[in-house]
Amino acid sequence: MGEQPVEKGSAPAAVQPKPRKARVPRQPMPERDPRRRRTNFEEVPKGYSEETAIVEASRCIKCKKPFCILGCPVNIDIPKFVDLIAQGQFMEAFLKLKEQNSLPAVCGRVCPQETQCEAQCVMGKKYEPVAIGRLERFAADYAQVHGGVPDPERAPSTGKRVAVIGAGPAGITVAGDLAQWGHEVVIFEALHLPGGVLMYGIPQFRLPKEIVQYEINNLRKLGVRIITDHVIGKTETVDQLLKEGFDAVFIGTGAGLPMFLGIPGENAIGVYSANEFLTRVNLMRAYDFPRYATAPIRPRHAITVGGGNVAMDSARTALRLGAQSTIVYRRSRVEMPARAEEVHHGEEEGVVFHLLTNPTRILSDATNRVTGMECLKMELGEPDASGRRRPVPIKGSEFVIPADTVIVSIGNMPNPLVPQTSPDLGITRHGTIVANPETMATSKPGVFAGGDIVSGAATVISAMGQAKIAARSIHKFMMDGAEPPGQPPTLPQTPAR
Amino acid sequence: MGKISLTIDGRRVEVDEGRTVLEAATEAGITIPTICDHKDLSPFGACRMCIVEIDGVRGFPTSCTTPAAPGMVVRTQSEELRTLRNRTLELMLSGHPNGCLVCVHREACEKYRPRPTKAGRTTRCGFCSNRDECNIRTLAFAAKPQELAIPTLYSSYNLERGDPFMDRDYNLCILCGRCWRICEKIHGVPAISIINRGKWARIGTAFDKSHVESGCTFCGACIDICPTGTLADRYARWYGRPTAETPSTCTLCPEGCSVLALTEGQKLIANRMIAFSSQTSLCALGRFAYPQVVNAPERLTRPLAREGGELIPVDWESALHAAAEGLQGSAGSVAVVASESTTREDRHLYAKLAGALGARLGTVPSVSGPEALEPEELKADLHSGKIEAVIVNGDLLDESTLGQLKYIVAIDCLPSNVSEAAQVVLPAAVLSESQGTYRNAAGEVKPVAAVSASPGEARTEWRIVRDLAQAMGLSGFEYAAASEITPEITSDAAPGRLSANPRFSVNNLPGRFRGHYLADTVRSLEAFELPASPHKLLEQAAADGFALLEKREVVPNMHLLKIKAPQVAPYAKPGQFVILMAKETSERAPFTLVDWDAEQGSITVIIEEVGRSSRELVSLRPGARIAHVSGPLGVPFPIEKKGTVVLGGGCYGIGAIYPIARALKEAGNEVICAIEACGDYLLYMESEMRSVCDDLLVATKDGSRGVHGGVQEIFKGLVEAGRRVDFFVAIGCTFMMRMASEATQPFGIPTYVALNPIMVDGTGMCGACRVSVDGKTKFACADGPIFDGHSVDWDELFFRRSAYAREEIEALPQMAEITASGWQQAESRGSDGCSLRQE
Ligand SMILES: Cc1cc2nc3c(=O)[nH]c(=O)nc-3n(C[C@H](O)[C@H](O)[C@H](O)COP(=O)(O)OP(=O)(O)OC[C@H]3O[C@@H](n4cnc5c(N)ncnc54)[C@H](O)[C@@H]3O)c2cc1C
Ligand code: SF4
Ligand code: SF4
Ligand code: SF4
Ligand code: FES
Repeated sequence: MGEQPVEKGSAPAAVQPKPRKARVPRQPMPERDPRRRRTNFEEVPKGYSEETAIVEASRCIKCKKPFCILGCPVNIDIPKFVDLIAQGQFMEAFLKLKEQNSLPAVCGRVCPQETQCEAQCVMGKKYEPVAIGRLERFAADYAQVHGGVPDPERAPSTGKRVAVIGAGPAGITVAGDLAQWGHEVVIFEALHLPGGVLMYGIPQFRLPKEIVQYEINNLRKLGVRIITDHVIGKTETVDQLLKEGFDAVFIGTGAGLPMFLGIPGENAIGVYSANEFLTRVNLMRAYDFPRYATAPIRPRHAITVGGGNVAMDSARTALRLGAQSTIVYRRSRVEMPARAEEVHHGEEEGVVFHLLTNPTRILSDATNRVTGMECLKMELGEPDASGRRRPVPIKGSEFVIPADTVIVSIGNMPNPLVPQTSPDLGITRHGTIVANPETMATSKPGVFAGGDIVSGAATVISAMGQAKIAARSIHKFMMDGAEPPGQPPTLPQTPAR
Repeated sequence: MGKISLTIDGRRVEVDEGRTVLEAATEAGITIPTICDHKDLSPFGACRMCIVEIDGVRGFPTSCTTPAAPGMVVRTQSEELRTLRNRTLELMLSGHPNGCLVCVHREACEKYRPRPTKAGRTTRCGFCSNRDECNIRTLAFAAKPQELAIPTLYSSYNLERGDPFMDRDYNLCILCGRCWRICEKIHGVPAISIINRGKWARIGTAFDKSHVESGCTFCGACIDICPTGTLADRYARWYGRPTAETPSTCTLCPEGCSVLALTEGQKLIANRMIAFSSQTSLCALGRFAYPQVVNAPERLTRPLAREGGELIPVDWESALHAAAEGLQGSAGSVAVVASESTTREDRHLYAKLAGALGARLGTVPSVSGPEALEPEELKADLHSGKIEAVIVNGDLLDESTLGQLKYIVAIDCLPSNVSEAAQVVLPAAVLSESQGTYRNAAGEVKPVAAVSASPGEARTEWRIVRDLAQAMGLSGFEYAAASEITPEITSDAAPGRLSANPRFSVNNLPGRFRGHYLADTVRSLEAFELPASPHKLLEQAAADGFALLEKREVVPNMHLLKIKAPQVAPYAKPGQFVILMAKETSERAPFTLVDWDAEQGSITVIIEEVGRSSRELVSLRPGARIAHVSGPLGVPFPIEKKGTVVLGGGCYGIGAIYPIARALKEAGNEVICAIEACGDYLLYMESEMRSVCDDLLVATKDGSRGVHGGVQEIFKGLVEAGRRVDFFVAIGCTFMMRMASEATQPFGIPTYVALNPIMVDGTGMCGACRVSVDGKTKFACADGPIFDGHSVDWDELFFRRSAYAREEIEALPQMAEITASGWQQAESRGSDGCSLRQE
């Protein structure tokens, strides 16, 4: 992780004589210099210092009807935890967060707060919203650095057993809640390390892997058994798990099936799915080759195709591996699904954007190695079904971008393995598992699902939100309808703004 | 010296008196085949390849030992000579893996696999790092190998890979004696000689000690003179034949030995002595460590400048500008501290810069650190804080000095405490990357050639110093090339001699270079007890992992591993595979399941050692734990009653077809198993195979047993014999599966192959394993691995499989060095688990 995530003593810009709350601007978070970070995998934002955190937390006006909570898919009591930070009670703030969110250090870093909690913040109407995400991260890092977090209490054993398939954010969340309520939980994970996308997808410079492993260890402390290297569907099927004495099964296998462009030349050497590219670097640590054995990718000029967060991660990773890094996206900037902050970080670090550009062909040499990509320029036409203006090709505008690496980052489909091997599981034509949004129960009794396998590739926090709901229904299912402790979550609302 | 004249093959040849017949012929451009002879060795007459006929001389004298005499009439070619030479070759090659020499598919195979496979044991030329430079092969081909009777009698010696820097596989040794003779010539008392007698005669050290303990100086002469792949430079071996050999000078220590720098393109792969003599020999550092320093992954590659407490990568101009400004801020109390390891041109410019700045100049011998800084007063002034700023080109300042200094400009090739504390870091080209001259301790001025590209943005030191001087507004530094500096150097003192010459003993090896501990960069130097900074352990062993129940090398290079994997065994089906990771740092590597026992919860795989991942696995000992086992993966082979099935297996595929044969047989098919290997000593699992099939047919590439050829020849034989074949399955190397598919295609016989592209996860989430089948992209791990062999795009598969060929060559020695640096703990030299002899 390089440096302590929580900085002490660095005086914040704005602690002059106590100004009126509403006037204090939103506190920026110090970031590593882009010139330095583009050459290594250090985390980009450095986190708030204690002083800055207090200043920022004091901006919260403690609304009577806090909308922010509704914007949070796991309904964190935001005003409360923010107030605790403002009081300097950092550990208490952390414990408050933990009540609703099992992975605050993760969410504080990767949640799209600007469309969730912060989008609802009343302060945002006139001024800028309270930096809820940064405060969440601050409290979580504080707790990790200072230690002494009391081990969560476990309810007495219920004798019930739950199998959780997939150790991504959904699986981790379900497992954490159920274990806390006294059930015996076993997580089966296909890969050799638990964490799902948090481990193999999201890069180190955005989410240090040490944080994910710290959270996983906490889960183990709760008595959750995590069995890695165990591919459900190839080993046991869901039916077999139920027969083998599990009272319920949760499927959180995510959306891990990469899509390709389907253009000529796509199987040339140097064309990667974002999944492969990121997995080699993150999970397999190819950037530490040859200490780690997985062959590294050494791009000189990398083109990433796509405009989402995964594309941003890929392009910025390529940059760190020494490449000139280009993004090719067929729509314009406003249509880019990636978080504005990530696009901004990418730009700062030197990622070049070719917008309104569509790949048509990948060119390669005699040994089938990529030499470039042929693209077509696009212009925006009429809006399509999604309401976004449809890009239409400009005739004769073909041009070639030279490259030795192409990273295809145009989305992932749900993992088909479990649905394929559970014939009576209802699935949609997109391959996602059908689950009742209020209970996350599937069409198969005793089987629940959540996360990307239900919603299609989405976000960490929405996976966790669904997992929270699933955990409660699993508890009720196994305990003859009895409610588990704690508040039932309200269903996440689509942000009003 | 007088000239004499003689007749060779009817030509009048004139040579200096005292030459041998062989030399006379060679001078005249007449080739006589030789093996044990070498220009730097005295004639030995051991191999008897160079026999000739001389009028009036009885029998067939060896031309290498016969002095040319006036009027001699020599014949180098005759039917009898040919027969005799062939007998000699046969004798030599019968103990040498020679399958490829007589293989009917050799040309296609070598075209398909332009690089030899990085195998553990060399069981054929295709697995031999010497292939591109092999004289034996040349001789054998000249002699028409098909006419030679050369069964391979594999000696089954353990691989010797426990010593630093060198790999030895005495199963290839032809006892030409070049190695021990050159060792004796160079060192007087050879570290190696022929040990044992008769059938078990081989080369080795006295009492079979490790080379580290044997008095070997690691000069590498034996490796470089061995005509076979027996002795190999671990780091360089798989790069193949160097593309250039350039004379240069080693500047790792003041001895300044002449070297021949071997490069592959822009990469330095080895240094070799310029001639095999005691005067020109090299030490372990110059021969082996040098390329590893040059190619170290931790090299400094970008200029850095400190801003806001952090070192920020910046462009050269800003870095130089920042350095100039910072130094000017301390004008009057600046020092230049330079290592003596650089070229004279570099040293001259450092001195000149110090002069122009009015700065103090300190020097450090090239093999020393901060303690050896001269002059003493400067050391004191650095400690007292009298000096505020320093320009320094190595790890040459101690901790307390670093704490005193206000401004440090580090010009260096490797990171150190100094570069970490510096305000500006300027990455420097080093050793073989910069051109110039070097004055060695003996006072000689020698040329240093730039033969390899410096990494990233690193620049030569003279250029850095020139630009820094210019950035500070100093004049007199307007050089366009290092050679323009050379004439300015009028009096440069020779560096001090080392107290003991490293070339004479590994105990004399210096441990530092520019202040850096060499063993930090070249880990295996720890075997010589060279100092190193404490390094962190790579990764702790997995807490749990999967127990290795059984581990055997069933035939050379082919290992059987039985692993406790209770989550896999009950679900395994024929045609599936598992992903194994020996350690947490390993790759996820796929291996086909050969057998499983649901009750015992165990699985069996056959692993052929062909690179880093397989080597890590086969080096484990029974009882060890494999970090990760994941599976079963892939779609099982469809087991149906089809009639007569032929299953072709080669390499690891022999094991892989076993469970499929068993299941197909149980399903009521007539099962014919066709297995192939390079020679009969490489066939395995025959009795197991027999028990699950109706007919077991064998093919060998060297014709030592069964059909001469491979499974495609067996198939052709079956067709010719009128046997009915309903479908065909081929599992083995890509080449074999392709050949088999091509053989069955004209007959329209459905053919299944198990593809083996590079994989990452093996569960269908990355697409690394993409293959084109029938024009459609498939993921081999999730949709396969078994596909219709007639629809596979084999060329694409071949290319995709070679995507990381270069990286694999780099990864192997790294891993091997790490293993070898634990050599002291090794119980025996076969200790990396590659032992064929039953203990
Ligand atoms: C590169 C990248 C960047 C992203 N960035 C963000 C971000 O900044 N913010 C954000 O909110 N979201 C982000 N996302 C999306 C987010 O990571 C996912 O929405 C979230 O991880 C979904 O969680 P999950 O638990 O449903 O699935 P996953 O995290 O995909 O976990 C599924 C797990 O199940 C395992 N599994 C699959 N099949 C089986 C099986 N048969 N048996 C056993 N185990 C199995 C998989 O190996 C995996 O570990 C990003 C995604 C990617 C790829
Ligand atoms: S030394 Fe190597 S290349 Fe030469 S014949 Fe032997 S196996 Fe073949
Ligand atoms: S090791 Fe090489 S040089 Fe030495 S005897 Fe054997 S083949 Fe000849
Ligand atoms: S003795 Fe070794 S290190 Fe010194 S110059 Fe010679 S080869 Fe290089
Ligand atoms: S190995 Fe990753 S999809 Fe096949």
